[in-house]
Amino acid sequence: MLEKILSDEIYHILQNKINLKCITEIRFRANKPIILIIGSQRTYLSNNGTTANIKEAIYASKIMIEDIIFRASECSIYSVNEQIKKGFIVTPGGIRLGLGGDLVEENGIVKTMTNFNSVNIRIPHEIKNCSLAAFDYIFENNKVYNTLVLSPPGAGKTTFLRDFICQLSERNYAYNILILDERGEIDIGKEGCVGNYSDKISFAKKSIGFENGIRALSPNIIVTDELGQAEDIDAVNYAINCGVTVLASVHCDNIESFLKKPNFELLIKNKLFQRYVLLSLRNGPGTLEGIYNENFTRVKN
Amino acid sequence: MKYFLLIIIAVICTFIGYLFSKKYKTRDNFYQALLYLCQKFDIEINYSRDRLKNIFLNLDEKNKKDLKGIDKNFISFLDKENALDKTSLFNSINFLKDDEKDLIFTFFKSLGRSDVDSQSKEIKNFQTRFESISAQVKSENKKYGSLSIKLGIVAGLLIVVLFI
Repeated sequence: MLEKILSDEIYHILQNKINLKCITEIRFRANKPIILIIGSQRTYLSNNGTTANIKEAIYASKIMIEDIIFRASECSIYSVNEQIKKGFIVTPGGIRLGLGGDLVEENGIVKTMTNFNSVNIRIPHEIKNCSLAAFDYIFENNKVYNTLVLSPPGAGKTTFLRDFICQLSERNYAYNILILDERGEIDIGKEGCVGNYSDKISFAKKSIGFENGIRALSPNIIVTDELGQAEDIDAVNYAINCGVTVLASVHCDNIESFLKKPNFELLIKNKLFQRYVLLSLRNGPGTLEGIYNENFTRVKN
Repeated sequence: MKYFLLIIIAVICTFIGYLFSKKYKTRDNFYQALLYLCQKFDIEINYSRDRLKNIFLNLDEKNKKDLKGIDKNFISFLDKENALDKTSLFNSINFLKDDEKDLIFTFFKSLGRSDVDSQSKEIKNFQTRFESISAQVKSENKKYGSLSIKLGIVAGLLIVVLFI
C-alpha cells in the first residue's frame, strides 16, 4: 500500500536503501526534513537512505503532503471526509495517516480539514508472538480475563491486541470475537492477522459499536482500541454487564498515571478489568513492563 | 475506366462529408457522456461515496465508448501509471477545441480533491458549463452534421457531371 501513497522517488529510497519492515513512522512536515522513526530511533530521510546530517535530508513540500493524502484516500478525499474531520485517514492496508492542517468549522461543527501541512504515516506491523509472554496471565482455565493494555503512543498496544486475537485462533479457541475498530487499525487486512473467529465493525463510535455489536453478532469477546471518553467507559461497563469479555487499550505511561486518568475512576473502583498489561518503549516498542491484577498487584514482573 | 474513377471520386467526396458529420456527432455524444458522468458523480459522491476509480469502472459501455478513452486515461492517472496532464488525458482525442480541453482538464483535475459538499458544488458548476457547450454542440450537429453529408454527395455528383 505504501507504494500507492508515496511518490515513486521516496518509495524507491525506502524500498532499496532502508529496510521497510523496520520503519514504524514517516513524518512529513511542510518545508521541513522528512523524519523516519525506526524502532525508537529518529533519523532523516536522504537520497542515500538515512542520515543524521540535516543538510543531506530530503525536505517535504506542501504539494508532496497533499499528494500523499490524495493518494491515501484512493484519490477520493470526499469518501474519507468523516475520518479527515477526526484528523486521520486509514488506508485499506491499515496504514494510518495522522493529519495536520486547518480545521474548517461551521456553527461549532467540524466540516473538514484543508491546507494540510503535515502528515504522520504510521505503518502497522504484525509482530508474531508479541503477546505470548502475557498470554497465560490473560487466558486461564479456558477463560479470557477482561484486560486493559496500557502504554504510551507507538509502544505496541494495537499490535499486542492483534496478536492476542491471533493466538486464540491458532490454539483453536473458537470464541466469537468482535473487533470494534474505530480507527481501522486493528485489522490490517493481512490474511489470518485477526484469526478465523472474528467479526469486525469499523469506524463506528464505541458507544454505538458495543451496543449494535452485542445485539447483532453476540460476541464472547470484544476487542477495541484506545478507550478515553466517558462514553467509552460506559460502553465497556455495558458489555461486561452483558457477560462479554473486553480487551481494550489506553494511552498512559505507567500505572500511577493511569490511576489519575479522568473518566476511569468507576472502571477502577468496580474492578471491571482483571488484568492490566503495561507496555513501554524502553527496549523498543512492545517492551512488557509488567502484568497487574484488578488490585494493581503485579502478577508478572 | 473513366466512369469507374468518377464513381470512386463521388464515393470519396461523400465519405469526406460523412467524416465531417461524424465529428459533429462524436462531439455531441462526448458531451452527453460527460454530462451523464457529472450526474453519476454527484449521486455517487453524495450517497454511496464510492471511490473515483469504481465510478469510472462502473460506467456503462455506451458512455465509456462515447468518452473516447478519456476515462481510461484518467484511470491510468489514478493507478499512478501516468501524470495528469493534457497530453495524457486527451491522448487520441482531436475533436475538442483548446478552450474545451482546458475546461475538461480542470474538471478532471478537481475530482476527488475535496469534501462532499465542495465536490458536489464543483461538479454542479462544471455540469452547468458542460450543458451550455452541449446545447451548442447539439445545434451544430443538427445544423452542420447532415449538411456535411449532403454537401459531400452534391460535390461528388458535381464532379461526376463536370467530367461526363
